[in-house]
Amino acid sequence: MSRHARPQRILLLTGVYLLAVILGVGSAWLWLTRVGISGVDAGAWRVNLLAGSQDADAYTRARIALGAVLALGRSETLYYTTDHDDLGDSLRAECRYRIEGLPPPARWWSVTAYAADHFLFPNDQKRYSVNGETVTLDDAGRFSATIGPPADESRGDPAWIPTAGRGGMRLTLRLYGASESVQRAPGSLAVPSIRRVGECP
Amino acid sequence: MNPKPLNWTRHLLRVSVVVVLMHGLTIWAVPRLIMDRIIDLGTADSSLERANGVTLPPPTDHTQRRIVMPSPDLLYATCFFDLADGPIRVTLSTDYPRYWSIALYASTSDNFFIVNDRSAPEGRVDLTILPSSHDAATSKVQHHGTQVVISPTRRGMLLMRLLVNEDPAVRVSAEAARRSLRCSRDARRSAAV
Repeated sequence: MSRHARPQRILLLTGVYLLAVILGVGSAWLWLTRVGISGVDAGAWRVNLLAGSQDADAYTRARIALGAVLALGRSETLYYTTDHDDLGDSLRAECRYRIEGLPPPARWWSVTAYAADHFLFPNDQKRYSVNGETVTLDDAGRFSATIGPPADESRGDPAWIPTAGRGGMRLTLRLYGASESVQRAPGSLAVPSIRRVGECP
Repeated sequence: MNPKPLNWTRHLLRVSVVVVLMHGLTIWAVPRLIMDRIIDLGTADSSLERANGVTLPPPTDHTQRRIVMPSPDLLYATCFFDLADGPIRVTLSTDYPRYWSIALYASTSDNFFIVNDRSAPEGRVDLTILPSSHDAATSKVQHHGTQVVISPTRRGMLLMRLLVNEDPAVRVSAEAARRSLRCSRDARRSAAV
């Protein structure tokens, strides 16, 4: 036993410490990719107040780097993101959604749709977002836009963001130069509603 | 002779320390590795147009897959810097009438400086980026006439954003604005370092 005990012990301990390394790295990765970004909720949306900030803690900095690297601080831009609709159901690229609301009080705003990999959906019209310049306001001063697979009525409609394929989807509402009241209390923003239209194929 | 039995309590303690250290190290390293990758790719990518030390990527569309969550409503210009070789001078002169901003990022991904069309309404920017090892007060004297910005890290990047739309006239104006951006080694390097 003594002849083989030492190599076996070294092998055992190497395995245990290797497992510890995997556990440390794996737990960090799971935390970064599975746990949502902390922040303030506004309807279905969440805004992280430390994005791009030097005051961000290590976890926030790492999560922002993974999902929204090169973000700006809240005094410049507020980023509201969501991957679910108003009912809490996950947003799907193959489904159609209606977004409605009042134009946010900001110098400029936009809603952009991203695929699950955080990149833009391919579409030949190169239409990836709606903003204050592309939407039309109704008599009540509200805008509405559609996000979903292209249809006959979507071509040429500047308030329609075409999606592609199947899988998860993320929306980002950007506010450049938000009003001071929104900067002070980002959770108080009257965010656009997100409702699924019809059944998902 | 039989070997001493394993002290599992001691090893359990060490394993716990390794788990915590590796967890923390991963969290710490992720933003730095991502920024290093962005800076390395941006510096080495020969397919991108460059002028005056500035990289001019094409308008954002779905084929852009370098940086996650790009804004399709913005035109970008970037400049990557390494202050080990001396300070960097950044200048801009534009009358672009829409939103624009110049943001500086450390290699930790922190945004440590920003100027935009409202904070520089005359459209002129003149910055000297220095490493944190510099004495800020002395540097202000040595770089009189420019705004001194201390970078918390040696490497970093500048990202200029210009709000555009589908109007060709706006696109032309934005293109001219970003081409007025210059990033260069500061000629007064010897006095500053």
